[in-house]
Amino acid sequence: MSAAPSPPPELVTLTVDGRAVSVPAGTLVWDACEKAGVFVPVYCAHKKMDPVAVCRMCLIEVGTMPKLQPACATVVQAGMEVRTATDRVQRFRQGNMEFLLLNHPLDCPVCDRGGECDLQDFAQRYGPPRSRTAITGKVHFDKARPLSDRIMLDQERCILCWRCVRYCDEITGDRAIVLQERAVHTVVDTFEGRPLTGPFQGNLPEVCPVGALTHTAYRFRSRPWDLQRTPSVCPGCSYGCTVGIDSRDNAVVRFVSQDNPDVDDSWLCDRGRYGFPELNRQDRVLTAELSLEGPVRAVGALEAVGAAARALAGVLERHDPDQVACLGTPQMTNEEAFCLQWLGRDVIGTPHLDHQLEPWPDLAPDEFRLAIRELEDCDTVVVLGERPEAATPVLTLRLYKAERKRGRQVLRIAADADPTELAGRVRDRGRVGVVAHEADRDRARAVATALAAANGSVHRLTLTEGMNGRGCKDLGLLPGLGPGYRRLDRAGMHGRAILAAAAEGRLRALVVVGPNPEMEQDPAYEAAIARVPLVVALTPVRGLLSRHAQALLPGRTMAEKQGTVTSSEGRVQRIRVALQPRIGAPPPELRLLVELGRSLGGTWESAPLATPAFDVICDAVPAYRGTRGGLRAAWPGTGGAA
Amino acid sequence: MFRELIGGLRITMQAMLRKPLTIQYPEEQRPVPPRARGRHILHRYDNGLEKCIGCELCSGACPVGCIYVLPAANDPAHPVSPGERFAERYEINLMRCIYCGYCAEACPTEAITLGPRLDLADYKRERLVATKADLLEAWPGFRPPGGAAGGGPR
Ligand code: SF4
Ligand code: SF4
Ligand code: SF4
Ligand code: SF4
Ligand code: FES
Repeated sequence: MSAAPSPPPELVTLTVDGRAVSVPAGTLVWDACEKAGVFVPVYCAHKKMDPVAVCRMCLIEVGTMPKLQPACATVVQAGMEVRTATDRVQRFRQGNMEFLLLNHPLDCPVCDRGGECDLQDFAQRYGPPRSRTAITGKVHFDKARPLSDRIMLDQERCILCWRCVRYCDEITGDRAIVLQERAVHTVVDTFEGRPLTGPFQGNLPEVCPVGALTHTAYRFRSRPWDLQRTPSVCPGCSYGCTVGIDSRDNAVVRFVSQDNPDVDDSWLCDRGRYGFPELNRQDRVLTAELSLEGPVRAVGALEAVGAAARALAGVLERHDPDQVACLGTPQMTNEEAFCLQWLGRDVIGTPHLDHQLEPWPDLAPDEFRLAIRELEDCDTVVVLGERPEAATPVLTLRLYKAERKRGRQVLRIAADADPTELAGRVRDRGRVGVVAHEADRDRARAVATALAAANGSVHRLTLTEGMNGRGCKDLGLLPGLGPGYRRLDRAGMHGRAILAAAAEGRLRALVVVGPNPEMEQDPAYEAAIARVPLVVALTPVRGLLSRHAQALLPGRTMAEKQGTVTSSEGRVQRIRVALQPRIGAPPPELRLLVELGRSLGGTWESAPLATPAFDVICDAVPAYRGTRGGLRAAWPGTGGAA
Repeated sequence: MFRELIGGLRITMQAMLRKPLTIQYPEEQRPVPPRARGRHILHRYDNGLEKCIGCELCSGACPVGCIYVLPAANDPAHPVSPGERFAERYEINLMRCIYCGYCAEACPTEAITLGPRLDLADYKRERLVATKADLLEAWPGFRPPGGAAGGGPR
């Protein structure tokens, strides 16, 4: 769907501290100040929430108005004269800081927010040089009070900015946090004291400007100056939320959200945010292990690649390549997925490759045409069943935003609802979006067809499983479809058929990249793997694969490698090395796959590194050109890039 | 010329009669001035609780970045320090330290000071990374784990 061309907004010119700045009409003075490069301190204002103007930190002088005005809630007017640096404003900020700190416990040294706290920063910048209040005689409230197993509340540190309350009201809509009591006794608490249960609690400590709401998982773990932040992509699902991976001592201590308005809109779900301990797992495959002949023996990774290649070559000499299969995982990067399909298809010569269990015949990029951001522009969004929001939780917040802030109709229907009677329930004729999980893609197609007949413009967004399920499909880690959904003459077996063939003893060798969460949940997986005489497995963690592989190659977690991953909507984003591999660690997975292919006589032209491999991908799949910087791939016939 | 010789010898004679300045180091040690900045000491309150709350401000203030603090939450039944937080690990790399005293300056609880101990040579580099066991003030019932360098502050 091409975004409707909106008329250019009318510009209003005002001055901020003498600097002229032009902004669209309707802009808040706070944003105009930012555009003019003038910093205005705020507590209650938040870019993603409506203004309430309760903290009074942002008061500034406007024109000849007798009283100071809140910059966060005043709309610009032509010729407005804004002054932020006058004595009156300074005096007022100082007084406001004194009020905010009146009952503040001043326990920064034991506060998790210390070092990245707006209260600390503004107290230092705008506060009075010394306090006029005695330390004794402060009003005391509850400290270290768990609101759930994920969030801690310290009521004493709260400055009553209402951000958490508004977050639960405007962003999630669950109204779980409320203000109670009056005047100096006002406290923030959960509604009726019930523990928080929502799937988006982890955003609360991020909206809180002070240390009142904190993460249990990050309690007393570090200070910001001891952390290393690596911009990356959340590995929790295929939505592609941008995250900062904060690590200390080469271990991940937290994920922080990074505002990407096209995808996450600065929110993360708890599954993604608190999934980081997976990256610190200790039960790792750190060296290659060979048990091709005799007992298990630890060897260097490249030596093991050579041995695996010789064993595979032996199988290929004696048997047809049809008796070999390759299984990937949606947790692989694009470069690795492309390399695995090269290894399977071009080098080994087998048509049997897949990264998932179920078959996906007649797959086309059109199923992913609708962009996440365009959900807000659809007049009606039809969501099929609960699976889309279970697979990619942050979608819920985007749907709520479309509903609440843009007044769109969000129609949640049962996945098996009758598509023909649906047309009547769509509120107005206009643009319709159909959102479905990949398991329901046939139903989604039926719904889209039915609605298109009645309604005209219908676009689909299909949500895939795993971090890079979409990339694996785009790059042809599928039977019968090559890179770029190129239809191949020889259809191979899909994931479940490969497992069945293995269990029946029809496969002589299997090249597996793991772990594949979907397959590992399936009881058939282990039985199948155990039956294959030669399993070459590449995996970062111990488990089923490390138990059954004859040639086990050490892999890396997503925090230890670089490359690109593609989100469900087709956005190609980079992941980066957050945890440095130790000295002498085995080479990255991509290099091992390339060397395996080369040892089997394949030609991989470029260097076995992520960046040149991406160029190889761009040559094979032209849609991936021009995605650098985290853009969507432009598939022909689907309305182009967004 | 003769007079100069006598004058010189007089000074020599005087020096021979003076008490020697040399002391038998390391058996004997000169007292250091009260504000000398030697190896750090981590202090305790009178009830034995550690003053350090693991806030990491010392490590933030340290100009060479030689302090490592890993905080943890106190077990309310057996607190290590008063309050919610304590330093689970506390290490100072004495080979990098420039003995500037900024850490003591930054500490909100006066938990860390620079003590009088100046003899910091050792045969092993690892032993010059002082741990909590080395730095903590002695306390009845507190035993530094075996093999700790120096065995507690003097
Ligand atoms: S909220 Fe900020 S000012 Fe208050 S104790 Fe925590 S770090 Fe200090
Ligand atoms: S808990 Fe934090 S976000 Fe909520 S009102 Fe208090 S200071 Fe604001
Ligand atoms: S004395 Fe100075 S250099 Fe040494 S640990 Fe303290 S702050 Fe760091
Ligand atoms: S020694 Fe002082 S400054 Fe350093 S962590 Fe302990 S309490 Fe904080
Ligand atoms: S930020 Fe404007 S009143 Fe709070």
